[in-house]
Amino acid sequence: MDPTEVEFLAEKEIVKIIPNFSLDKIYLIGGDLGPFNPGLPVQVPVWLALNLKQRQKCRILPPQWMDVDKLEEVREMERKEDSFTPPPSPYYMELTKLLLNHASDNIPKADEIRTLVKDIWDTRIAKLRLSADSFISQQEAHAKLDNLTLMEINTTRSFLLGSLNCMFKLRSNMQPGTSTGKGPDY
Amino acid sequence: MPCERKPMRYGHSEGHTDVTFDDAGKFIVTCGSDGDVRIWESLDDDDPRSINVGEKAYSLALKKRKLVTAGSNNTVQIHTFPEGDPDGILTRFTTHATHVAFNHSGSRVAAGSSDFMVKVVEVADSSQQKTLRGHDAPVLSVTFDPKDEFLASASCDGSVVIWKIDEQTKVTSWPVLQKSNDVSTAKSLCRLGWQPKTAKLLAVPVGLKVHLYERDSWEHVSTLSDDMMTQPINVVAWSPCGQLLAAGSVGGFLTVWNAESKLCVERQKHEKGYTVCGLAWHPSGRQLAYTDTQGSLGLLDDLPTASSATKTPKVAANDYDDLFDEDDDRAMDEGLSDTHSPAKRPVAGGDDDDDDDLMPATGRVKNRSSFLDDENSLDTVSLALGQGKYGDDDDAGSTVAPPTGPSLPLRPAYEGPLPTLPQKPFQPGSTPAHLTHRFMTWNSVGVVRGYNDDQDNAVDVEFHDTAVHHAMHLTNALGHTLADLSQEAVLLACPATDELASKLQCLHFSSWDANKEWIVDLPAGEDVRALVLGQGWAAAATSARTLRLFTVGGVQKEIFSLPGHVVSMAAHGEQLLVVYHRGTGFDGDQALGVQLLQLGRRKRQVIHGEPLPLSCKAHLAWLGFTAEGTPCYVDSEGVVRMLNRSLGNTWTPVCNTRETCKGKSDHFWVVAVHENPQQLRCIPCKGSRYPPTLPRPAVAILPFKLPLCQTTTEKGQMEEQYWRSTLLQNHYSFLSSSGYEIDDEGQNQNQKEQQELLMKMFALSCKLEREFRCMELAELMTQSVVTLAVRYASRSRRMNLAQRLNELAMEKANQLQEEQEQEEEEVQEEEHHTPRSRRPAPLGGPSGKQSKGPVLKPLAPKPKTKVSLIQRPWTGFQLWLEENRKSILADSPDLQETDVIKAAMGSFRSLSAEDRLVRGSDWDEIAGDRTSNLSVTRELAKPTELPPPFHPYIPLHRLLLIWGFIDK
Repeated sequence: MDPTEVEFLAEKEIVKIIPNFSLDKIYLIGGDLGPFNPGLPVQVPVWLALNLKQRQKCRILPPQWMDVDKLEEVREMERKEDSFTPPPSPYYMELTKLLLNHASDNIPKADEIRTLVKDIWDTRIAKLRLSADSFISQQEAHAKLDNLTLMEINTTRSFLLGSLNCMFKLRSNMQPGTSTGKGPDY
Repeated sequence: MPCERKPMRYGHSEGHTDVTFDDAGKFIVTCGSDGDVRIWESLDDDDPRSINVGEKAYSLALKKRKLVTAGSNNTVQIHTFPEGDPDGILTRFTTHATHVAFNHSGSRVAAGSSDFMVKVVEVADSSQQKTLRGHDAPVLSVTFDPKDEFLASASCDGSVVIWKIDEQTKVTSWPVLQKSNDVSTAKSLCRLGWQPKTAKLLAVPVGLKVHLYERDSWEHVSTLSDDMMTQPINVVAWSPCGQLLAAGSVGGFLTVWNAESKLCVERQKHEKGYTVCGLAWHPSGRQLAYTDTQGSLGLLDDLPTASSATKTPKVAANDYDDLFDEDDDRAMDEGLSDTHSPAKRPVAGGDDDDDDDLMPATGRVKNRSSFLDDENSLDTVSLALGQGKYGDDDDAGSTVAPPTGPSLPLRPAYEGPLPTLPQKPFQPGSTPAHLTHRFMTWNSVGVVRGYNDDQDNAVDVEFHDTAVHHAMHLTNALGHTLADLSQEAVLLACPATDELASKLQCLHFSSWDANKEWIVDLPAGEDVRALVLGQGWAAAATSARTLRLFTVGGVQKEIFSLPGHVVSMAAHGEQLLVVYHRGTGFDGDQALGVQLLQLGRRKRQVIHGEPLPLSCKAHLAWLGFTAEGTPCYVDSEGVVRMLNRSLGNTWTPVCNTRETCKGKSDHFWVVAVHENPQQLRCIPCKGSRYPPTLPRPAVAILPFKLPLCQTTTEKGQMEEQYWRSTLLQNHYSFLSSSGYEIDDEGQNQNQKEQQELLMKMFALSCKLEREFRCMELAELMTQSVVTLAVRYASRSRRMNLAQRLNELAMEKANQLQEEQEQEEEEVQEEEHHTPRSRRPAPLGGPSGKQSKGPVLKPLAPKPKTKVSLIQRPWTGFQLWLEENRKSILADSPDLQETDVIKAAMGSFRSLSAEDRLVRGSDWDEIAGDRTSNLSVTRELAKPTELPPPFHPYIPLHRLLLIWGFIDK
């Protein structure tokens, strides 16, 4: 899966916007949206919110978790725990990127939020690398990781699978016919 | 004779102080936290001599030209007096000394310290020291037995200890004080006092009282107290004669008792109520010097001598003129703090002879009676109230001056409810004017924000719907404080300044010409207090209680006077709602009046200045119209009320926003109300009444909820829903009557919903076996739903109910018919005489700019249609029935309505063909005539036709059904 595909999925998330136009309910395949009343918050998918924002038709209200205090809490939590803590949102990275890139004027303390989310991301990716490392060094057959987001799985998937394949090849070349028992020397 | 309280003067910098007189009484000597000892020749001495003794001086003692001070450098020093030369260090502690005292002869000094120790040092030879150990906390104060045998000390550990000096042992100890950690945190300094001369009594300040202990027996023999003392006593001091005891308290009260009679002979209050921490008698016993924790020095002069005090303790009031001066100032807030029976207070300014009655002027007379009842106090009293002279002071008696203080309301005898300050005028949806960034208005059209900081004085106008107009940024050179916003214009107003008159500025952005702005100056002395924009007009209420109307283009129109100062105004279409002060409210309530005017072509007043109902002690917080045009307001208790036009223009509470608040100090700031859909648009404000401009607040939606009883039950819920729906449907009839287009579909939907609710309630009552209630509900139903109810009742085998319902159905049917007849007649008349008089005039709405958004609910004029006249024609049978009803009834008088019709139907059918042909066609012809009067041509019913169903509103099959039940 491509990161863009993940981002595409993230765009289905719902956010609140304050439109500055008025429009009756619109009926779409994905569901009905609206009605849009100027000045009144309404829930729409991110793709529509961004589209309207780009056309200066609305203000985006940041999602609840996109708040400096809450994110700081999550970050501390993430640093304290060895395992993965539940992410603030299943698409937190994508949404942060999308909203901050397109609607940073509607989000208070946008820079701090960007830093915080990046911190959380880095911490989680570091944990992921660590667990992949121990997974390989212990030569486990399977592992289970909770609370990973789609984007995180995707970032590590191609590399992990490729390297596992590669190692498998190397290993089978080095020790033809014997089962793995000795310590790996990579 | 009353003593004289000299004005306080600055002595030292702020902090703890101490005071004493020199042996001869020539000097007043003070020390303070600035580390100086000052020697005053008198209170008026403008240039006292200063001796610096250290960083801070905590206590001093003076005897025989030796000045002993306890300073912050952990030492007790001696200086010569009055020269002020250092004379060595008497003793040292590990921390600073808290109190020093000489013995009677001046040969020894006792010092207490924060390191829990008391030392007794010979002045002549400081190496001869006696240390008294035994306290468990810093020592507060020390005092010598005048006979030099004992020493008393008080400590923060809560004890007062008597030591035998020579043996350095505890004689006795009384755990009477409140414990504390340090001298600075102690409730009282607890300066002890040992009676001079006789050395019989030891005075210990304990809380609000002074305990007297007897020497040798060490028993608590008596207590001196005073009801005026409300805070702990800090210091006590015996007069040199040993008969009077003075005490100074934390709250600044000074009291002098006669120790023998235990009577209070003198009483004063510190002029500012600061804590008294130093107290010293003049050796003559006629003056009392005191210092406070703010560093000031005060003096009471001409104190009563002990002899006179014992003779005639007498009451006078030297402070009474002050007291009553104060009253005038406080008249407004009287009653807020007053909990005493005010009826007992005499009116100020009574005549001089009226001694007995005037005495209880403090409202606490009962408490004071303990000493007032004594001897001849009452009958010698004479007061000169409010005239500044003292009565009857010839025999120089002691005085008791009732202290003044906030805890002691001394007021004239008014005891009724208190007037409330009238609330200030405001624009609905604005935040307070003192803010530098504020909302000048927030309504359904947009937001006007005002900035008034160092860099910028500007107004920002932003529209919710950018289709109305783009956002505007205006420099606010005139200093506008009021604003309103509509689809057509922005209206701003500023108050008058010294040079400029109050101005009204209108930015008419929807104007089609090039001039989009106009300014009007108000007459001198008139300020705009509230303003509002309607459709095509503007209104401004001024401080002269006039209301001025303008067109939106700037033409001055009507002007009229308001009955009171305006509070707020709102407008919608052609309606103007004004709320003003009707009078003075009492006990926190506001007295507001409301006027509702219809301004269009047919001008009239709908509400004629009736009182505006508000919650208890609330004021008006928001005023406006719903988007559909129903007046509506919110009070400070968060209750939203709406005009109920169908109940004689009463106000119905539709929502309490406070119920939805999470925190106690959270509020909802209402910005708009909508009836269809039922929405209360407001901004949640955490911990405040109004939102800040940044970050941009987001609107939340609250539902309406009528405060009916038991809305948790199914019944209550449905009742609430029904009445809410009924109330919020009123706007349909109002809109249609004032000539606006209405949403028929919505109205029908609404009615259907109501009938469904009624049916549900009906079913519920049925289930609960409440048939009477069922009937009551059925009364509310429309005729067609009643028939359904009949069916439901009969199905559930409630024949009695079904029967009654059936009667009701008939009644309703008849009623409907009658109404319709009346209507028809009216319409006929109108058609004939004044064909177009009531036709609504088309409204000149702004072209183009109006959007059809549901938020704005633009009022579209009703399309010009002919009044629909397609009425149910009269049938021949109906006419015939009308004619012959009497005869049928005469034949069988006990017939019910249905039976009459049945019988009539039978006889109509039984008319011979000829008869029918002749008479029946007649009937039909006449019927045709009647209907053709309604200018609708219609083919005459052919006589051979079966008569059409006798009632136009009940379908035949239903009727048959009903009959079927009756027959059963």
